[in-house]
Amino acid sequence: MIYFIDIMLIALSAALINNFVLYYFVGICPFVGVSRKVEMALGMGFAVTFVISIAAFLSWSITTMVLIPGAPVSSFIAGFFLPAEAAANIDLTILCYIVYIFSIASSVQFVEMYVRKFFPILYRSFGVFLPLITTNCAILFACLTIMSHVVGVDNPEDAWDLGRAIALAFFGGIGFTIAIVIMSGIREELELCDVPEPFRDAAITLVIGGILAIAFMGFTGVDSGIRKAVMPKPEIQAADSQLNADAFVYVDMKGQEGRVRIP
Amino acid sequence: MADLPTATERFIQGILPENPVYRQMLGLCPTLAVTNGMKPALTMACSVAFVLLCANIVISLIRNLLKPHLRIVVFTLTIATFVTIADRFLAAYLFQMSKTLGPYIPLIIVNCLIICRCEVCASKQSVFTASADAMGQALGFGLALSSIAAVREILGTGMFFGIRVLPEAWPDWVIMVLPPGAFLTLGLLLGLVNWLGMIKARRAGNDA
Amino acid sequence: MSSFKNSNLAQAWLVLVLATVFGTALAGIQSKLSPVIEANKVRETMEKIPGLVPGNADSDNLVVTSRVIDIKKNGTQKFYTVYDVALKDGSPAGHVAKAAGQGYADKIEVLIGLDAGGDTITGLFVLDQKETPGLGNKIIEKPWRDQFVNKASAGQLVVVKGGAGGGYEIDAISGATISSRSVAGIVNTTIADIKPRLVLPGKKENNKTEETQ
Repeated sequence: MIYFIDIMLIALSAALINNFVLYYFVGICPFVGVSRKVEMALGMGFAVTFVISIAAFLSWSITTMVLIPGAPVSSFIAGFFLPAEAAANIDLTILCYIVYIFSIASSVQFVEMYVRKFFPILYRSFGVFLPLITTNCAILFACLTIMSHVVGVDNPEDAWDLGRAIALAFFGGIGFTIAIVIMSGIREELELCDVPEPFRDAAITLVIGGILAIAFMGFTGVDSGIRKAVMPKPEIQAADSQLNADAFVYVDMKGQEGRVRIP
Repeated sequence: MADLPTATERFIQGILPENPVYRQMLGLCPTLAVTNGMKPALTMACSVAFVLLCANIVISLIRNLLKPHLRIVVFTLTIATFVTIADRFLAAYLFQMSKTLGPYIPLIIVNCLIICRCEVCASKQSVFTASADAMGQALGFGLALSSIAAVREILGTGMFFGIRVLPEAWPDWVIMVLPPGAFLTLGLLLGLVNWLGMIKARRAGNDA
Repeated sequence: MSSFKNSNLAQAWLVLVLATVFGTALAGIQSKLSPVIEANKVRETMEKIPGLVPGNADSDNLVVTSRVIDIKKNGTQKFYTVYDVALKDGSPAGHVAKAAGQGYADKIEVLIGLDAGGDTITGLFVLDQKETPGLGNKIIEKPWRDQFVNKASAGQLVVVKGGAGGGYEIDAISGATISSRSVAGIVNTTIADIKPRLVLPGKKENNKTEETQ
């Protein structure tokens, strides 16, 4: 149950509260470049979500099985060349970034083959944008976030398992799709407006993106509130002033707060 | 086949006429993310300069051995290696800054700017020209990042490089150091640069 | 057959050579720099410790040993890293516990200083936070953190608005009540969790992990 709540909170945080585009600034290039029509934006969003989930699966698996110190595959192979003690501690995390970018490139290749076979019309409308997903910061960013929760954590208990990794990646992609579809809807309307010439295309998109980011800031704190409400209560409560019997906090008719000490 | 630009032309083009952020719109992710202070912005600009220079030199040295199908793989491998080196050096010698910049240093790998320069210049021209191109583009990138960071830091905290420049009574525009401020600042500055470009083009058209 | 060799394997030789060269370079970087990076991470915590225990803040006179206390509650295990600080002559000077909890925006990591008996809070330092700049961010400021100094650990801290009295009260940052409450809650939970295991009876056995009881 706690695991399920944790996954839901990761999903909510990745999709809305810490939205990949509007909070972490990853995936800006397609956000500004591809968001002219809603169908195009929706297709791009789904493609990115698909790729990000596969890439996250690949990077989590390779990180936990091969790269971190004490990983099964690397210890096994190193066991042939080195004494057991050194083989168990072999640390390949320096190769993380190279491994991630190549797993992203492979995921994009795989998705490209899949789309070309089963959705040929969509494939043609994508044109050059599908291979360009490789350079989408959002996918590498998801892999890096997963890496920061797996490599170098203080407690082995806190290291993320596959479920959390895929939840973050998939819902991060969904968040990207939400942002890009909203932007494309706005831009479709914007075509009927008289935008000053220096601001056409990119500049006005960024300004609107800023206003969208302000709107999404309203979601801050939702996950911490839900977490406190839903998680099992710790034995010691958070420090609410209502708990202390010595002081009583009231709010009077004008909305002013005051304190009264009850002896 | 048209003549490729010389080294000096590459260098000068990179600073303003083909500025990576304001003209080519490449590398927007770090531009928005690290510009909430001058120090992170300059650290990021130096890291990008390092990776760009090294990658351009290496690619230019092996440009005659590149096969068309595998060249993207070679570019990616080179860039990823140099980014790893830059990241480890920052973590070792500028630990606090490395923590502030966080995941945005590894994101240099997918910065379209570097792959674009490798493709357009380094794979076709000599080491000297490629280096000049890298320096020019890096300088342009640094200028762009500094301009945005200056606006955000001064308006958002009243400080520049950590030194107070606005009076204490200035109410900090906190929105400037938060994500929306990045979008708004870049959008408005981009509009300004476009407008200046339009005036210049109109004046050149009038003179002709 | 020969065209196959020409197209795939032959073309890949450059990639393989580059991969070997880069791999060697990276291995060299790893062996040279990773001790430096590890030392950075440890120093970040260690250099804060002398300021959090009472008495002289001269780090040369202090001997710091670390151990891990693990607590089982609500069906999960929680780990706390505790640093025991002693003077050169062996007399205990205090303890510093590393703790983390949910803040308003994201996790907040703190170092809590306690005296030798674990009865008084002697310091608080915020290691990592992602609260709102200008509002929740103010939990890192020294005047606010100094409210925690010399508070007894026997009862729970309480966050109030409009000026704290003595005892267990902490004044909230105006506009950042939730961040203030989160920090006080983390302090409360940590002290309640580790206080029974804080003071070691007699001499210390070893410096590393302590087994669950």
